[in-house]
Amino acid sequence: MNIITRKLIVKELYVNRWMVAGGALSGVASILIATLGKTGFNVGALTWLTTIIATGVMLALYGIMNERKENALQFVLSLPLSISEYVRAKMLGLFAGFLIMWSISCAAALLLVFLKASVPDGIAPYVTLLCVFMLANFAVVLCGALHAQSEALNSAVIVVTNMGVSIFMFTVGPMPGIQQHMWAPVPVWNDTFWTVLFCELAVLVIALTLPFVFAARRRDFL
Amino acid sequence: MDHKHIEMRGVRKSYRFFTLDDLSLSLEPGEVMGFVGPNGAGKSTTLKLAMGFIAPDAGEISVLGHPMPEAQAAAKRDIGYVSAEMRLLPHATLGWHMEFVKSIYPEWDGGYAATLVKRFNLRPEQNARSLSLGEHVKATLLLALARRPRLLVLDEPTTGLDPVARHEVISEFMDVLRDDSRSILFSSHNTVDVERISDRLTFIDRGRIVDSSNKEDFLDRWRRIHVKLPAGTSLPELPNVFGRVNDGQFVTLTTNQYSEGLRALIGPHVREVQRMNLEEIFVANVMYHREVRGS
Repeated sequence: MNIITRKLIVKELYVNRWMVAGGALSGVASILIATLGKTGFNVGALTWLTTIIATGVMLALYGIMNERKENALQFVLSLPLSISEYVRAKMLGLFAGFLIMWSISCAAALLLVFLKASVPDGIAPYVTLLCVFMLANFAVVLCGALHAQSEALNSAVIVVTNMGVSIFMFTVGPMPGIQQHMWAPVPVWNDTFWTVLFCELAVLVIALTLPFVFAARRRDFL
Repeated sequence: MDHKHIEMRGVRKSYRFFTLDDLSLSLEPGEVMGFVGPNGAGKSTTLKLAMGFIAPDAGEISVLGHPMPEAQAAAKRDIGYVSAEMRLLPHATLGWHMEFVKSIYPEWDGGYAATLVKRFNLRPEQNARSLSLGEHVKATLLLALARRPRLLVLDEPTTGLDPVARHEVISEFMDVLRDDSRSILFSSHNTVDVERISDRLTFIDRGRIVDSSNKEDFLDRWRRIHVKLPAGTSLPELPNVFGRVNDGQFVTLTTNQYSEGLRALIGPHVREVQRMNLEEIFVANVMYHREVRGS
């Protein structure tokens, strides 16, 4: 990785620092709310989910789409870098920013599962899958934002990925291999878990790779 | 080896409603080229091609000896680019931008940057989002100039600026020109600004270059000739006259190849020969080429 790519990754972390910090803080606060009884758990879980999704969408919106819309992209592209270096720096910088917020929020959620007696440890595989799903989901949003140049297409990607979270909860939650052990006192890391995790990681890898294959080779970037 | 700073040959770039066609231009080291055209003529497209932001459909582009857009990373190390529509990162201060650019370019001249901050009355602690249009242009100009580039590519940098800001920006370009090895490609539809700093002019209209020459050459060649024809007389067939307005017995001719020979050909009926300013030359040139293309 050359110096300009490194500088641009640091730039992404710097310009999005408040969004990342705010997201992480909100994620942890949501988990604290989730410790306050049944209603608190529901409210906390909902705000935790919303925080992770919204931070991801905002990072892609402000980091890519607004940079293009507000003509700051011209400033970045005027620096001594190629289109592929720009795409690489953008992907890695925004993904690193999201990863910081995601790691803190997800660690807080798993800590809640393992430390709070009223929450069964058996839900840990489901929470893990949900966390990885949201990471893959963000990678898809990022991939879409780097490819789609129209606002309409970007909005469509955001709507579809947001719907994806509900679809995940309604399809993975009721899977026998997941549901049967959800309320168990110990987590069960069975084949169903590993299969779903593999699929999520595959989506993640594809979404992170596509921009290097297509967007980085685009000949017109403005 | 001293390459041409910009060389474009047979460049074509097509969009749905616009085509830049068969564009060829070259910029020598130390030369200042004013790239003049009406809105939508293809100035910004040409400059974006020179920067490697977009790729040509056909033709060759070389900047500072590097093929574009393939070697744009190497070429842009020595190019300062400023555009009226370019904006800095909205959530960062000017000071942060200065540190950022300094960390990328070892040639960054801190003393010169500080001078420009003062001269342009900018505040490094100010957030980019709160900069006015004039401050934005001056800030991007500062970031481009303080890295001491060999080539400046300026896309309508004075558009939308008030007269004082325009004066400050143009004066800074004049300062840059003291270094003979640096060159500038300056696009604008404002011929007054271009006339002040350019030594070569290229006119573009509807995606095609219509004329390119030294500034002095343009000013020497173009004339408006006022003639009063007595009743019953007419003008002979005149070469290189492509503007003719009749008003009763008064005729105004526009030529791009004025000479005493032409005057002699018209005869004793010439009342006045006027020099044309760059704006008049530009408009006459564009209108003539539109007529030729339309016919």
